[in-house]
Amino acid sequence: MTTTWPYLDVHQSRTHEPTPYEYKLAATLEEVFTKDGHELADVVSGLNARQVHAPDGAPWTEESFRAEMNRLGA
Amino acid sequence: MSTPTAAADHLYATGLRNQWHPVVPSSFVAPGAMRKVTALGEQWLLFRRSDGTLAMLADRCPHRGAPLSLGKHLGDRVACWYHGVEVETDGTVSSVPGLPGCNLEGRKLVTSLPVREIGGAVLAYFGDEQHPEPAGLTLPEPLTDPDVDAILCYAEWNGPWRFAVENLLDPMHGAFLHHESHTMYDGDTTAKFRIRETDRGYFFEKTDQRGVNFDWVELCRTGVDWVDLTIPYPPSAGPGGPFGIVGMVCPVDENRTGVFFWRYRRVTGWQRDTWRFLYKTLIEERHWQVLEQDRVMLEAMPADADQRENLYQHDLGVVRLRRMYRAEAEAQARAAQPAAPARSSSAS
Repeated sequence: MTTTWPYLDVHQSRTHEPTPYEYKLAATLEEVFTKDGHELADVVSGLNARQVHAPDGAPWTEESFRAEMNRLGA
Repeated sequence: MSTPTAAADHLYATGLRNQWHPVVPSSFVAPGAMRKVTALGEQWLLFRRSDGTLAMLADRCPHRGAPLSLGKHLGDRVACWYHGVEVETDGTVSSVPGLPGCNLEGRKLVTSLPVREIGGAVLAYFGDEQHPEPAGLTLPEPLTDPDVDAILCYAEWNGPWRFAVENLLDPMHGAFLHHESHTMYDGDTTAKFRIRETDRGYFFEKTDQRGVNFDWVELCRTGVDWVDLTIPYPPSAGPGGPFGIVGMVCPVDENRTGVFFWRYRRVTGWQRDTWRFLYKTLIEERHWQVLEQDRVMLEAMPADADQRENLYQHDLGVVRLRRMYRAEAEAQARAAQPAAPARSSSAS
């Protein structure tokens, strides 16, 4: 932890540099939220339609999306 | 002896007493660690026990005045490096190893401030000699509401603390300074404003426009001073509606400021997790770029900027703030002045 003045840290909420997968997922989520909608069903169908896969390589389900967001949002 | 005016100037420059102020993020002092901090123009030691309990002591050994922050963390007390005097977290001298039984032992000789940790930040109560017991504290609702997710962003700026608060009480700067930002993309560049009093402060709000961007700010004085505002958010951020900010300021000293911004949205469940994921991956950096615009401008302001201005209606919120703070600084300075000694009737 730094003690030098001034403290100016851009990424205070991060625990790590996001992986390419995480950047891709986040950018696609923004697109889905903008163009498709804000419901969980919109998210799942929007990600699958854009060929962005769940971590296991399978299509997303509501369950897998909830679990992955719980992991990534911690 | 200082004059009341000089004392008021000092308080105005370094921060009002008899209230809580944020100090630093909680993460700045890990369990079992110590950290020197400056707040309200004075030096303090943040001391955290391994169980997480936090104390804030004046950074000054009561023996010869050496900084305790250079000392050793002994688990439940700090030992001064200079002569080994041990001070407990409540400010009591527990041991003088160089002269056991010395009359310093057992006496509370170091100021220990009341502290609380909220929303990832340390708050401390800075009382003057007449008001050592902490004032009541009502925390900002977005920081205590379980259905609201608030994420702290902290930064350190070179400039008077008041400039940072005034910046928050100035919605119209958003349309110009932040014109090119991912949330300030809309809204009129002209507007009419009014002040609306509340029982805890006041709103400074547009009268002719609502729900576009940065249409109102609320100053709240609830034992700690804070500002609340909301900004409509682009749909790309996902479910959760508007984006809110709770802002607080730490007067570090006359020319340095710590700024605390809790970015919050009303989200729970998967919506909360998704918002947090987007925030840390993409959105936080965009907000940082906006905040940097504030820092660049405020750090470039001359120290006497507020001494030579020509204000107009949009500055009402700022003017109200200054009058309030100046009046309170003067009241605190007067209250701290000893009554003039009665003149001796002996003339011979």
